[in-house]
Amino acid sequence: MDVLDLARTQFAVTGSLHFLFVVLTLGLAPLIAITHTRHAVTGRPEHERATRFWGQIYVTNYALGIFTGLVMEFQFGLSWSGLSEYAGDVFGAPLAIETLGAFFLESTFLGLWIFGWNRLNRWVHLACIWMVTLTAYASAFWIMAANSFLQNPAGAVERGGRLVLTDFGALLGNPALVNSLPHVVGAGLWAAGFLVMGASAYQLFRRTTEREFFTSSLRTGLLVAFAGSLVTVGFGYAQFGTLALYQPDKFGSPLAGTALGIMIIVGQLVQLLLLLLAPLAYWLPRWRWAQPFLMILTPLPFLLAICGWLAREVGRQPWLINGRLTVADAMSPGLTSGMVTVSLVGFTGVLGLLALADYLLIARAVRRGPTAVALGAEDEPAPAVREPALSH
Amino acid sequence: MDVLWLGVLALLLVGYFALEGFDIGLGMLLPVLGRTQRDRDTVVSAMAPFVLANEVWLVAVAGVLFGAFPEVEGRVLYGLYPLVVTLLISWILRDAGLWFRRRLDGTGWRAAWDWAICIGSYGLALSWGLILAAIAQGLPESPSPLAGFGYAVVVAGALALHGWTFASWLLPGRVTGRGRTGGALLASACAAALPAAVPLAVLAPWLLEHAAPGGTLGVLSLIILPLTPVMAGAQVWTWRTFGPRRAAGRLPSFF
Repeated sequence: MDVLDLARTQFAVTGSLHFLFVVLTLGLAPLIAITHTRHAVTGRPEHERATRFWGQIYVTNYALGIFTGLVMEFQFGLSWSGLSEYAGDVFGAPLAIETLGAFFLESTFLGLWIFGWNRLNRWVHLACIWMVTLTAYASAFWIMAANSFLQNPAGAVERGGRLVLTDFGALLGNPALVNSLPHVVGAGLWAAGFLVMGASAYQLFRRTTEREFFTSSLRTGLLVAFAGSLVTVGFGYAQFGTLALYQPDKFGSPLAGTALGIMIIVGQLVQLLLLLLAPLAYWLPRWRWAQPFLMILTPLPFLLAICGWLAREVGRQPWLINGRLTVADAMSPGLTSGMVTVSLVGFTGVLGLLALADYLLIARAVRRGPTAVALGAEDEPAPAVREPALSH
Repeated sequence: MDVLWLGVLALLLVGYFALEGFDIGLGMLLPVLGRTQRDRDTVVSAMAPFVLANEVWLVAVAGVLFGAFPEVEGRVLYGLYPLVVTLLISWILRDAGLWFRRRLDGTGWRAAWDWAICIGSYGLALSWGLILAAIAQGLPESPSPLAGFGYAVVVAGALALHGWTFASWLLPGRVTGRGRTGGALLASACAAALPAAVPLAVLAPWLLEHAAPGGTLGVLSLIILPLTPVMAGAQVWTWRTFGPRRAAGRLPSFF
């Protein structure tokens, strides 16, 4: 592989890892916020247990979203400095707004939510998770706006060899954005629904003592996944209409075409299945034979989400900014195979191992069930003041 | 407008060192301040509620660099390639230690992640020292290794002092055996931020020359400035919620 292939591989691997975790964050956040709201309003203990149990899975997943996200943010400058050189005045704006106006708040409020159990006022604590949810969706909006600019550089003109922002409204009203954003949001709900459904099926199959808890969550997971699939598929097909305007030959290459084909065929089959299962939501948790089947379905929306990104990104080759800047021209001048190889091994090695560990920790949280949850547990007593004579 | 965004960038970078500085410092001191597992749990619990609110200042620095000074972003990050990669891997290692250490029972698991926190924190402090020294020298092809080493030691020392002071302020007598006032914490925050202020001053004229055009900065200002009260409010609120008055009795135990 030459240096360009290596740099692209690095972006593809870290980007795919990032989205595996982000897609679940996006889908779970509103479910946790709604469950927390039911807890705050009714004060009933089962809602508190549900908030803490699914919340622990949510924050464990969130950690990897942060780690991979850090590499994503800095990778632009490391490997693709030609992008900021040529289009930073336009492309940088949505990214800067995402970090300052969305992620800065999301991270601060997430800290308040995680550590604020048993110390914040009930309504204030609830407001924190809603702020986390709101800013997570704001993040998704700005990142998709930035990505859509790469698909279709709307709102900018070239002046003196660089792109200049001329119409911010056009950047936000980009036809590459209007249908892809709800497509991604739907995929998040679909993934979160499948995780909740699969985890509940696992617990029921093991003849859990928490029958009521997981019967109810299995139904919720199924219905959320079904709703998510309607949004995802609907806005997936809707993208073809506008795509003809800016990338008519998008799926000509074998990889982009295959990724698109898998996404459509498998996605449609799973959606058909959800259509059949949704009316049976009340009875489904009792059917023991169905539980292993629901468990093994869990990874599907995640794999389809990766196919979606492959289709969207590979289909634009050789352009980084469609029709304006090629990936070859965007690569940092002077970047060597040695540099990228070392960082590629470092990033994918560390992030890959941490991702694996994180999935095992999520699986463990699912297996232990709602009785042993660290999130929101009683605080530990602070240690005693050390006697000066005993300190060294 | 470009001066305003230079101010934002400076505030975020200085704020990062003043705030995240004590997390990094405590991570470096973890084996010293926490001889037993229980003591290490206390040190981590002390910084835990602040880490997410602190480290995000650097995410914001990179965002502002990209949005308001895009040409500088590419050149600085690419120019410091191996150091930035080291910084990122150290940061991830430190964060993984915090997030994972309590997710499994067993002393070996937790002790191993405590070492990840310590090593990651040293990696952060030392790579920051080398990065700041290289920027202060004007990003030459091969910056002086002696200056870099010296600066790395200074940065690591300042962050360790800041971490020690923070623990003595939040939990007087319980971690370091001493107590420190808010004034002392402010002084150590300044000591932690000072090594970043010098290279920033060197970089300032270059940043101003390469600021994004007025149209881009106008859009950024229009969207971000109305949000600053919420951003500042959430930060202040974190300190009110987890400050020394509330920390004395009980400590949160998620990290």
